[in-house]
Amino acid sequence: METKTKIKEVLVNLLKVKPEELKDAVALQESIGVDSTEMVESVIALEKAFGVKLSPKEITKSSSIDDIEKVIQSKFAK
Amino acid sequence: MAKIAITGIGIVSPSGIGKRQFWANIKSGRSFIKEITRFDASRYPSRIAGQIDELDKYSNISERLLKKIDAFSHMALIASELALQDAGIDIKNEDPNLVGIFLGNAIGGWLYAETELRDLYLEGREGVSPYMASAWFPAAPQGQVSIYYGIKGFSKTVVADRAGSLMALGYAAKVLNKDKLNMILAGGMEAPVTPYALLCCNTYGALSKNNAHPQEAYRPFDKKRDGCVIGEGAGIVVMEGIERASKRGAKPLAYISGYSATCDGIDRINCSADGKELARAIKAALSEAKTNVDEIGYISLDGLAMDLWDDSEIKALQSVFAGRLKDIPVSCPKSMFGNLLGASGAVDMIATILTMEHALVPVTLNLDEPNIEGLNYVTKEAKEHKIKRALVISRGRGGINSVLVVEKGEN
Repeated sequence: METKTKIKEVLVNLLKVKPEELKDAVALQESIGVDSTEMVESVIALEKAFGVKLSPKEITKSSSIDDIEKVIQSKFAK
Repeated sequence: MAKIAITGIGIVSPSGIGKRQFWANIKSGRSFIKEITRFDASRYPSRIAGQIDELDKYSNISERLLKKIDAFSHMALIASELALQDAGIDIKNEDPNLVGIFLGNAIGGWLYAETELRDLYLEGREGVSPYMASAWFPAAPQGQVSIYYGIKGFSKTVVADRAGSLMALGYAAKVLNKDKLNMILAGGMEAPVTPYALLCCNTYGALSKNNAHPQEAYRPFDKKRDGCVIGEGAGIVVMEGIERASKRGAKPLAYISGYSATCDGIDRINCSADGKELARAIKAALSEAKTNVDEIGYISLDGLAMDLWDDSEIKALQSVFAGRLKDIPVSCPKSMFGNLLGASGAVDMIATILTMEHALVPVTLNLDEPNIEGLNYVTKEAKEHKIKRALVISRGRGGINSVLVVEKGEN
């Protein structure tokens, strides 16, 4: 599955938001009004889904789906 | 204390959600105590309760929020919405800085906590939801209600075992008397029908073990009593000053005119057998309401269905009301749906308001043979009786006594 699709799937299932609410280039805070606790949960869920270590500093409320994709792909590249 | 108007009622209980359904079941004297079906309770000494099975049917709460909160916050959110609707208040039109929340709770949100603690030990720290920290603690519903409606005024959660919500109502009335808030959502919520919470309640030793006959198990003041039965739910009302209620054309459903609380201060668990401190609280509440024993037309009893607690409650009433006691109808409607612990006082007050409105006193179920005679117990069927003023008693572990004087409203 494409990284971006998988990221969206993880967030939709975890946060119970509608898929269409997640915009590729818009910060999560703007698109779905994500709160700080939801971000903690999201980072852990993405770590589990992709098998990589992520820091809450790398993925924040200001990250868009595109940003998250870049971070995850950079982990695979290492 | 100036009287405070109650202009909206929100009730979420095993006997019904919404005041109409609740009252229809209460006046019919129907028991809602059943065997616990939510989890396997077969090895618990007491495995019966008043449960709410259709919470989602009455809820507008999103799935996104529901996964962050415990059932007791969910119940508080539904009760708050029902109370606001009943009061005809759109919270968006209120100054959020002048709206408060005063709620009572005894044990916190254990269904959420138990599941997450299990995951902590099975999966390690990463298995625990980050919402655990904000979901379980007794003030969580206050926080969730404030976030949901954007309420920003002075607010408190009272944790005082079973007396918490009646104390929250009394505290709210006193705060409104200081004219620093326009209105308050006040009451309480409790969700004790969970494996660990039920275990704690069982350990306390105050639960009936009459599992074979759930509907006959909770029998306050009866010779064959063997403890209460727990129930879950929330009771929340809208409180505001009389002048404000009148200005916005709201008809008060009732008034809170007096409140007092005392402590027995003799034991960690038990109350005092003499009922003296409860009597002092009753006298102080009557005095604050500028009323006397002759003007009280109904008493809503705490009724834990334990010898010490029931008998000391009656001793207190005998010492305050003396010969007048035989004329005042008394009952304990929670015998129908269970003791909602920290929410019990608020639900009792709501039942009392509906009792005054309909001039019909609901029964104490299963009170076949009173352990102490000489009171005007209402049993078997509801009794017509016009009431202007009533007393609501709510007590907590260790001998906490709280008493509210409630007066009939305009409807």
